[in-house]
Amino acid sequence: MKFLRLLLNNILRNKRRTFLTLSSIAVSLFLITTLLTVLHEMENPPSTPESALRLLTRHRVSLANILPMSYRGKIARVEGVEAVIGSMWFGGVYKDPKNFFAQFAVDNDQFFQVYADIKLPADHKQAFVQDRLGAIAGENLAQRFGWKVGDKIPIQGALFDFPLDLTLHGIYSGGGDDGSTLYFHWEYFNEGMKRLFGGGEGVNFTGFYTIRAVSADQVPVIAEKIDALFLNTSAPTKTESEKAFVLGFISMMGNIRLLVTSICSVVIFTIVLVAANTMAMSIRERVREIGILKALGFRKGQVLSLLLGESVLLAVAGALLGSLGAKFLFSGARLAAATGGMITRINVTPATLALCASIGLFVGIVSAGIPAWQASTRRVVDALRDVD
Amino acid sequence: MAVLGIGFTVAIFVTMMALVQGLDSTFVDTGQKNQLVVIRQGSQNEVNSYFTRELFNTVKFLPGVAKGADGEPLVVGDNVVIINHERLTGQPSNVMVRGSALAGLPLRPEVKLVKGRWFNPGLREICVSRSLSLRFRNMGLEDTIHFARSNWKVVGIFEAGGTAYDSEVWADYGEICQDWDRPSYSSILLRTENEAAAEDIRKRIADDRRINLQAIPQKKYYADQTSTSGGIKALGYFIAVIMGIGASFAAMNMMYGAVMTRFKEVATLRAIGFRRRNILGSFVAESVMLGLAGGILGCLMALPLHGISSATANFQTFSEVLFNFRITPAILLRGLIYSAVVGLLGGYLPARRAARAKLIDIMR
Repeated sequence: MKFLRLLLNNILRNKRRTFLTLSSIAVSLFLITTLLTVLHEMENPPSTPESALRLLTRHRVSLANILPMSYRGKIARVEGVEAVIGSMWFGGVYKDPKNFFAQFAVDNDQFFQVYADIKLPADHKQAFVQDRLGAIAGENLAQRFGWKVGDKIPIQGALFDFPLDLTLHGIYSGGGDDGSTLYFHWEYFNEGMKRLFGGGEGVNFTGFYTIRAVSADQVPVIAEKIDALFLNTSAPTKTESEKAFVLGFISMMGNIRLLVTSICSVVIFTIVLVAANTMAMSIRERVREIGILKALGFRKGQVLSLLLGESVLLAVAGALLGSLGAKFLFSGARLAAATGGMITRINVTPATLALCASIGLFVGIVSAGIPAWQASTRRVVDALRDVD
Repeated sequence: MAVLGIGFTVAIFVTMMALVQGLDSTFVDTGQKNQLVVIRQGSQNEVNSYFTRELFNTVKFLPGVAKGADGEPLVVGDNVVIINHERLTGQPSNVMVRGSALAGLPLRPEVKLVKGRWFNPGLREICVSRSLSLRFRNMGLEDTIHFARSNWKVVGIFEAGGTAYDSEVWADYGEICQDWDRPSYSSILLRTENEAAAEDIRKRIADDRRINLQAIPQKKYYADQTSTSGGIKALGYFIAVIMGIGASFAAMNMMYGAVMTRFKEVATLRAIGFRRRNILGSFVAESVMLGLAGGILGCLMALPLHGISSATANFQTFSEVLFNFRITPAILLRGLIYSAVVGLLGGYLPARRAARAKLIDIMR
């Protein structure tokens, strides 16, 4: 500890160089933090105790295949199922095709039982359930388009050839999605389909079912039972937990983990190079000084740890600056608006911060390793004789 | 070492751009001139389009549709469906299955059969692109996979030259309709006699209120799907900007070091009559050259990635799209410009410092 001042003085000897090195490490770690956090958010969809109770049943072939609405009653009778609703992707357009977001036609009667973790005032819930043309929107979505409760939301049909004329009755938070979904009544959707097809084929169907189990340990059993129920029908099903469903969706985007980790490792390698360059420069300048220290009786190990300490301190400080900067910046930014709803939040976790600090530690040790070792093992005479 | 640092930065930049390029050209390269894709009005693509068989016949016999050697109109109607199938890694992904007809092959000259034979109408048989067969389970020749209500036998492997068809499974139209219980069309592909006829048919379909369809030039239809790469492009530029800042700090550090060790030389140059702007210019040029050296190094490091294939989801069709990394001269040039800019940013301040060298410094 008593050498801390010496260490600090050495770091501040060339303020410009220190500043530049610190900045380039900080900038790189800012990038790494951002990438790792986005990856983390993608791989860990928001989960609540409630979401562990939910299952999704879809057509075995793919999500694009539809299921008859008659399945709802059959699923509801499966032991362990507390509530079940159908959800149908509407895929409509709000004003401009670029304004992409999810719109689901859902069964309103049990909606708040299945999504018990949706936070919404009781009177708003009531208003949504009772109004056939009602809708509720996630807070990020409402923020993106500046919607307020009571607003009319016209949606043009794209997938289905009829428009929706919805009234917003509530802006919810929570609920296992990222707060950028619009829910409206399945009955209203089905009416539109009836107008389109005049009954018969093309009505009374839904995209998938969302189920709430009585308890989390029953989830796997329920999934098996439901799939067994429809195995030999014209529309066999696949049921999985909500989390597995979301992860399956994300894995479709390709090997993002590989992309992110390879970018991160190249970035780390680059900062090792940059930091090593700086440390080599600064140690080379000080060869004589180090000789004097040793002449004064400093041991090899002490000199080595002084030099390493300097580099580690610099690198860790830079790393923390970058990571904390990222955390601070993203907590204040309105990401949903900036990225057009692609990314709704970036929440830097303590684990990521710790990882970044250890990257700093690693960079500090590796970058100063060789020059510090050379400098500390140099014979005093040689060091003193050294003329720059 | 700073050169190496710039090199890695440029390598990342080039890689990201090669990814975007590969993904984009998958779509841009697909399609033939004077061909139209007809889908339902309001749909963005084949996957969420559907219309009846009557409409197919209406479109088929429109004037201006080119005729094949046999006198039949060059028109093919497809039923496009999505299946969820396991990759070799075990993770499931969505794959597009095109229920089509062999009569449509002349309209898609990109597609060439490389192994086996084409599917037989009336049998549950499929042909798979070579890239898909290498990525997905049980999609080799003679394998059988189960989807919808039947077992489908892989009877042929085709290649589509890196176009969007390389991400598809093909089967007979009638079989897909039966198995899906959906006797409709998703899209029609037709060849027109010439450009004027194409525009004519496009207008005619758009204006006819009875046919609720839209005709899009095939090239444009696929080019519109390049928005798939938008997110990656944004990520690429984000990384490039941040890493560029970091790299120019590193370059600045190096250049300050260079200026300081050569301070006496600089002052001597000044003493023998070199002007400040000469010195400024020479240091900036040195830095830009170092940057470019890093750029060349980075481009060389990224080159081996050319041609590597990967896949991502096309969020318009919710199905997997395969693509190859593609490094073009334009991308390499952009990488070099980028490295020169990093060198310029890193070199300017140290160069200005050098240019300010005072004659008195020689005396010290």
